[in-house]
Amino acid sequence: MARLLLIFLLLVIAAQVGAEEFTFDEAEIEKNIWHLGGYAEVRPGLNLLDRNAAQSRLRYYGRHVDDTLPDFNGKLLLEGSLEKDWLKLFAQPSLDYANTRQSDSLKLTWYEAWVQAKPNEHFRFLAGKKSLRWGKGYAWNPVAFFDRPKNPDEPELSLEGYWMATADYIRSFDGSLQTVAFTPILLPQDHDLNHDFGSSDQINWGGKLYFLLYDTDIDLIMMGRGSRSASYGFDFSRNLATNFELHGELAWVVNTNRTVISTNGQQVTVSSDAVSWLLGARYLTGQDTTYILEYYRNGNGYTQAEMDMYYSQVNQAWVTCQQSGASSQLQRLGQNQSYGRPATMQDYLYLRIAQKEPWDILYFTPALTSIANLRDRSFSLAPELIYTGITNLELRLKGTALVGSPYSEFGEKQNDARIEFRVRYYF
Amino acid sequence: MRVVGILLLALLLAFPAFALDGQQLLKQIDRNLNPESYESYRKLINIEPNGARKEFTLYTVKKGTDKVASIFLAPASDKGRTTLRLGENMWLLIPNVGKPVRITSLQSVVGGVFNNSDILQLDYDAEYRVEKVEEKGAEYLLHLKAKSRSVAYDRIRIWADKSRKLPQRIECLTEAGMLIKTIYFKGIKDFGGFSRPATMETDSPLYKGYKSVMLFAKIKKRSFKDEVFTLNGMSSIDSLR
Repeated sequence: MARLLLIFLLLVIAAQVGAEEFTFDEAEIEKNIWHLGGYAEVRPGLNLLDRNAAQSRLRYYGRHVDDTLPDFNGKLLLEGSLEKDWLKLFAQPSLDYANTRQSDSLKLTWYEAWVQAKPNEHFRFLAGKKSLRWGKGYAWNPVAFFDRPKNPDEPELSLEGYWMATADYIRSFDGSLQTVAFTPILLPQDHDLNHDFGSSDQINWGGKLYFLLYDTDIDLIMMGRGSRSASYGFDFSRNLATNFELHGELAWVVNTNRTVISTNGQQVTVSSDAVSWLLGARYLTGQDTTYILEYYRNGNGYTQAEMDMYYSQVNQAWVTCQQSGASSQLQRLGQNQSYGRPATMQDYLYLRIAQKEPWDILYFTPALTSIANLRDRSFSLAPELIYTGITNLELRLKGTALVGSPYSEFGEKQNDARIEFRVRYYF
Repeated sequence: MRVVGILLLALLLAFPAFALDGQQLLKQIDRNLNPESYESYRKLINIEPNGARKEFTLYTVKKGTDKVASIFLAPASDKGRTTLRLGENMWLLIPNVGKPVRITSLQSVVGGVFNNSDILQLDYDAEYRVEKVEEKGAEYLLHLKAKSRSVAYDRIRIWADKSRKLPQRIECLTEAGMLIKTIYFKGIKDFGGFSRPATMETDSPLYKGYKSVMLFAKIKKRSFKDEVFTLNGMSSIDSLR
């Protein structure tokens, strides 16, 4: 009898397991006029320092540092919106915490804060702080005249915007020209508002004209002369096949300034036109491997001779500091940020290979990213593992190795290698 | 002899009236599945072999034969992701990235068995030519061939209920005839004015043991301006709800 009861119980349990119930409650899709969300992340990392590299010497002179430098970063990114009829308010503050053996910082940045009016489907007006993210490139966007530059190591991160007033006028058509959109922009700049956009108090203006023509996205972009030099841009993107996309950007900046370190270690400002361009492709194989390849020509980048001069000046200043303790020249060179920024030279290649869900592991994506400086043959190599299988949780383990000889861009970066683990929870 | 000749001629003339117009039948199946322009809510459930589930909720708008857009409402990690399809062009807008990027029909923005083409499904009639229709008891079997190479599946076989003219099972195949996935339509439900299956389940020999389910709610006929289906309009899809 007991055995029969056991069999019956097992059959009942098996039947319940077998009968899959799928429900779709209408309460799940009810819309509120407000929304609050965002994510919290922790990002502990370990840096393997190259103490002989120029960037290490400029940053840590006069201080003892170990070969390994752990750091801990935290971030709370909030998103809030309020929407009623044709009016929408949106804010995105970010609270960033960074801790190393040398420093500790907590910083609040308003990435975006804007109000938008959309009287109909043709018009949209927006005023406030906004990140536009113009351009078709994945790692670089030379035509993003009204944006802060993105970091090619993390091109998908949110960026802080600028305060501006902008609008959209959109028209759709039948035929080969499917869409035309015009986006004018006014961007004021003074010592309080957008102070890092340029040097003089100006109301900057510009805009973008977008076409979807013969299944190709085309943008014509311009920025009038103001706080920055006048700039003209063009970009395009097109799917050549179901699994192959081609994109490109071209930017012409008129009479732009560049700070160069001269033979006597002084900073000299050089003016010239700069033409930058990018050509890229995205390719998906039958095995779900995505390749993103981009070539970037930075028309405003330093030449090999200019970089050699800079590294030699840092080297000389370091020797002086070691011998006499005088660090003023190192300090002066360290204040020049342009030699240490990403893509500081002229010719770059970006390659990212990502394999979606290998070995049938759902939501698992291993990827390998490399950025190569084609002039000095130095490069970075970053393998990563991403898992998003737990609802609202994203786990990423990423390593980066920087490879290059002395006097090369990646060879003179602060780190030889870095490993970090990012845990991000969305709410 | 003349009578026999007239009868033969009459039969020959009458024959086309009884022949099944496959393309017309496909159009009817499309209309029975969805109004030409509509809004709807969908829940996608990916089920792993160990029973683990991940759910996504989407709001979708469609206009005519070649315009469709969807925005993810849940989970929080995907909220705001918007996909747009204009004919053969597809874009994805990720809120953090901030700009639409072109994607391909074979990719999947959610992982699992459903790909972008399934999520941004246009009318079958817009993408496929009916090569042959067979009558199999209470079902029609439609053999479809893609009109262009930009379509995710080169061949499709649709088993449709004869009386309701609604699909019961769809097989998606490669050009070489290899089965990519099978979609099962279940649970006919009244959506206010028309009835259609409220559940789509799919499995694939390429994802052994995995299953994906799509549940439909609030499918409503609605008209939209063309400008909704533009790159500039992508960030405002949620405002249509």
